[in-house]
Amino acid sequence: MPVYVLKRLAQAVPIMIGVAIVVFVTMKLIPGDPVAALLGPNSTPQSRHDLSQRLGLDQPLPIQFLNWFVSALHGDLGTSISLQRPAGSLVLASFLNTLVLLGAALLLALIGGIVLGVLAALHPQSALGRIVRGFTLFTISIPQYTVALLLLLLAVETGILPTGGMTTTGQSGPGTVLLHLILPAVAASITPMGGIARMFASSLSEVLHQDFVTSYRARGLASTAVLRHAIHGSVPALLTITGLQISYLLGGTLFIEVIFAWPGLGQLVYQAVSARDYPLVQAGVLVSALVLVLVNVVVDSAHAGFDPRVRA
Amino acid sequence: MSADTITRVVASPLPVRRARPRVRWGAETVAGVVIVGGLLLVALLAPLIAPSSPTSGDVSRRLFDLGTAGSPLGTDGQGRDILSRLIWGARPALIGGVTPVLIAGVIGATLGMVAGLAPRFGRSAIMRTLDVLYAFPAILLAVAIGAALGPGVTNSVVSLAVVLIAPVARVAEAEVLRVRSADFIDVARASGATRAIIAVRQVLPNIAPALIVYCTSLIGLAIVYSAGMSFLGLGVAPPNPDWGQMLNDLRQFIYDRPLLALVPAAAILLASVGFNLLGDGLKRQLDVRDGEVLL
Repeated sequence: MPVYVLKRLAQAVPIMIGVAIVVFVTMKLIPGDPVAALLGPNSTPQSRHDLSQRLGLDQPLPIQFLNWFVSALHGDLGTSISLQRPAGSLVLASFLNTLVLLGAALLLALIGGIVLGVLAALHPQSALGRIVRGFTLFTISIPQYTVALLLLLLAVETGILPTGGMTTTGQSGPGTVLLHLILPAVAASITPMGGIARMFASSLSEVLHQDFVTSYRARGLASTAVLRHAIHGSVPALLTITGLQISYLLGGTLFIEVIFAWPGLGQLVYQAVSARDYPLVQAGVLVSALVLVLVNVVVDSAHAGFDPRVRA
Repeated sequence: MSADTITRVVASPLPVRRARPRVRWGAETVAGVVIVGGLLLVALLAPLIAPSSPTSGDVSRRLFDLGTAGSPLGTDGQGRDILSRLIWGARPALIGGVTPVLIAGVIGATLGMVAGLAPRFGRSAIMRTLDVLYAFPAILLAVAIGAALGPGVTNSVVSLAVVLIAPVARVAEAEVLRVRSADFIDVARASGATRAIIAVRQVLPNIAPALIVYCTSLIGLAIVYSAGMSFLGLGVAPPNPDWGQMLNDLRQFIYDRPLLALVPAAAILLASVGFNLLGDGLKRQLDVRDGEVLL
């Protein structure tokens, strides 16, 4: 098992370097001369030449990439133009808030998805099964920002739950945060919940038709015990879809956080985009992608821990 | 097998699949066709059917609610008629959804086919490179590219196309791997057909149905993403109307006029559902097996 994890980590390294190259290339897509932009309209050719030499921008692109990559490895992701602070620390601070939202949404999506998936797999022909299938189809089609908007509307109309932010002025503590977390977490969880339910239902109904289930039934095992064994057989499929949904959630938080004013990475990137603050955008995207690569290593390792065939 | 038969086998595209009874169009497919067709009509006829200007408004008629005489869907913060903006917004919605998928479809299918038919080293070189694009959360990669290129429809289309190449290529490659060990490919190869001829005449017709189905559903997603790019200010430049940008604009008035923001949200949802239904219907018509949703 540790061998598998190490092997999987080793495979992730080239992907991470590739991710860094892609982010570096997007920075080079920015039109115009960055040195001229930094120095303003009154720069002389001499001062532009000096600055580009100091920033290493006169070097060939691969060297520029290496320089940037090495400083990124040291945690230096450039300076935010709009906030005049290190982009790396801004991204990390807000990323913690995103992780809270992401974790809560994933938890809700997994619980809801598994329950709905079991219901749909156990009663495929019943009205209940059809309702569950209709719901999952709907959740897959509806954009996350539409769900968020609908929930926001509901909150505005009823006034029960806070409609934005992570805390209310004058109140603090975990209870307040939890209260503020409910709406964004539910909004973010709906689409992944549908995806998980659909995948889990199809995998579970496949397992339910396998011979070992029939033999358990024939031996008179209680139906709940049979179900427990069948669910055990569907866990690998569940892990795969969960990995995909985490990627979707990381992208979706961009809109959820903007709509609910959740102070996370998504909102930071949104503000950075509005302010044309490229270093901050790139830092945010780089960190999200790198975290996602690591999450996939964890998911695959869990998969391998669960299913010895994967380890081979 | 005579030489004559072999020539004929290679010369004519092999039957893709056996003749089968025509599947009746389900209610869902009809709904998909109606929604997508209606959207196309609205986009084409926008100048004729929009009741007033989508870009200029009367500030004294600002933030009227749904059901107002003259503005059945209300007016926005600058007094512009929301129905007219919605109608004109069908154009960037379709352009922003369809074009990236077309571009990514051609590039992704080509890459996937080359990868699927290439020897082992070539295949992993292409697919592992695409894995890097796949490692990003899709919308975040589009935002990173779009933010660097600057706002605008063309840039938003380019960003989304780049993001969609990897999933299309994965579907294409998986399909190629499915058909490439088939007997008819061996026959074609034995009769001296070149790689290129096999790719175009034998492989492409066999992977096309699955690709068409996948790309149709992908348009639904691309519409959502493209509206998302406009929501973030990376798409259509104001004052030109776009559903995503309307959504971000109108949500700010949610305390006074809560229903207004739902109008563009409903339009985006309808368009996305329409293409998804169309994709599901095509899947049944073209007899494509269930694939996984990759994005």
